Amino acid sequence: MDGIRVGKRIVGTQSPVTIGWENIPKVEGGPLKRLFFSWFQPAVFFGMIAFWYYAPNSIAKASTAIGIGIGFRVILQILELTNPRHKSWQITWKELATDLFYVGVSATMVNLAENYIGSDVAIEAIQGSLHLEKFAWFTGLPLLLQAFLIIFIFDFGQYWMHRGMHNWYPLWLPHSVHHYITQLNVHKGAVGNPVELFLIGLGIGGLFDFLPRAFLLAGAIGMSVGAYQHINVRFNSPRWWRWTFNTTEHHSLHHSQDFESTRSNYANTFIFIDRMFGTCIDGEAELLGMEGGRRMSIREQMLYPFTEGWKAYKERKSREPFFDDHSAVPAE
Amino acid sequence: MASLSASDGEALSASASKGSRMRWINWIWHIRGEVPLPSDQTSEEAFARLDPLFAHTGTTHARMGDMVRVMKRDQLAQDPLSVVDSGTLCIEPAEQGGVLRYDLVSRALLYCFLAPLLFLAVGQLTVFLGSLEKPKSEEKAKKDEAKKDKKGEIQLNPVDKFLGAPAPEKPKDDKKDAKDKKKDGEREKDGFSPTPAYVFAGIFAALWVLGRLLEPWLIRRLFQRTLAE
Repeated sequence: MDGIRVGKRIVGTQSPVTIGWENIPKVEGGPLKRLFFSWFQPAVFFGMIAFWYYAPNSIAKASTAIGIGIGFRVILQILELTNPRHKSWQITWKELATDLFYVGVSATMVNLAENYIGSDVAIEAIQGSLHLEKFAWFTGLPLLLQAFLIIFIFDFGQYWMHRGMHNWYPLWLPHSVHHYITQLNVHKGAVGNPVELFLIGLGIGGLFDFLPRAFLLAGAIGMSVGAYQHINVRFNSPRWWRWTFNTTEHHSLHHSQDFESTRSNYANTFIFIDRMFGTCIDGEAELLGMEGGRRMSIREQMLYPFTEGWKAYKERKSREPFFDDHSAVPAE
Repeated sequence: MASLSASDGEALSASASKGSRMRWINWIWHIRGEVPLPSDQTSEEAFARLDPLFAHTGTTHARMGDMVRVMKRDQLAQDPLSVVDSGTLCIEPAEQGGVLRYDLVSRALLYCFLAPLLFLAVGQLTVFLGSLEKPKSEEKAKKDEAKKDKKGEIQLNPVDKFLGAPAPEKPKDDKKDAKDKKKDGEREKDGFSPTPAYVFAGIFAALWVLGRLLEPWLIRRLFQRTLAE
């Protein structure tokens, strides 16, 4: 395969990718269908902002946010079943059961473990030692600005953590298994090794004592953008949306079987962070995964980072003394 | 042909009775059924039509006469038999032509059946760990209360006031606080709520029922269509 030049890099040499918005197919069908798939994303986005901005205090609670989040996922799951983007990504009973297992592990076991290790404990310790109550000035800012800053700070941290995962082997190991997914579906964001979830949680957001309403607003904005990252539905996202936010198209390229394409589109919510640092590629891919699209079992996903890590450690140890490796090539 | 010794015979009958006992429970993860062959279709023709189903990535199969043994590993999501890990298909004579009988094993169905037990255990563990953490959370609540006193009331930005956003709640008094804590469930706030685990136990129980009904139907339809093509 010849590949396509994007800036200084050539993508699509190992598996087919589509580059440039003008080459990406649009939703086809009647005017109503096209209208729905053009305006669904912005309507949900602005609807969520209006709801959380004006909801009375008795409703603006975490439990409401959880309820809305679950309801929204159910709607997206129905859209996937009725309007799949690719037949080759069609959700099946086994895929759904597998994906929901990871969602379950994340919502129960990982949450439970985070009471003892991970970001929650770290944040509590930092707050305790640095007296971050001084940041109370922040809560006096307009709500939407607070919400934007919360997502931006968190996303900025996530961008570098994610980029680090793709550039440093010890971080790549827990993240690698997430790249063995061979199709995008609405719950695929949870698929991966639980160790990765701790790392992803270690952003720099959440350090401040923000107004809960700003947190809820930030969560709603994050949900109404992030939920489309792993989804088998095609939307005619508006130009401003594609410039600002991460989309299924961007993320499908990130999961492509083409190695060079996977080294792009790292941000979680704001794709303009990738634009800032030159890692954004506007495009999409249908063939996803690693090792030519091998599907990894749950058992292998749980063990792979450790078995591969051990293999790499032994191999490196047998080659030469640990800190004497002068052959290392910069990742970027 | 070698004759069987008395001990071999006992072992065989023990294994047969174990097999029949297993049938009482292995329907949980076995997909069994039969599909009549179209009239005048020989077993050779039938297996020739079924052959593409065994050509998917990760699938190996071996044919012995009128029986095929299938094994699958890391099967892709879009493999029409992705739910199957191993099994046998055989063609047997019937009153009108032949019939395809199959007995397929699905680890996905088994694990889905067992998943509720895992999540119930996680729920119980959460309750247990929550009870160990209770004294700490009481201390934390006292600290939070002290922090709240220091912070005082949060002012809404004039822009938000102008746009009509509801004002933040004023710090609550102790009595109301205690009442609210009871209502919301103290444990939930501390990250030791077993509810998600119980919800997922329910979800997987429902998923198993769905899979047990859906997958045999899909597989039967797949064989019917493949043989009729």
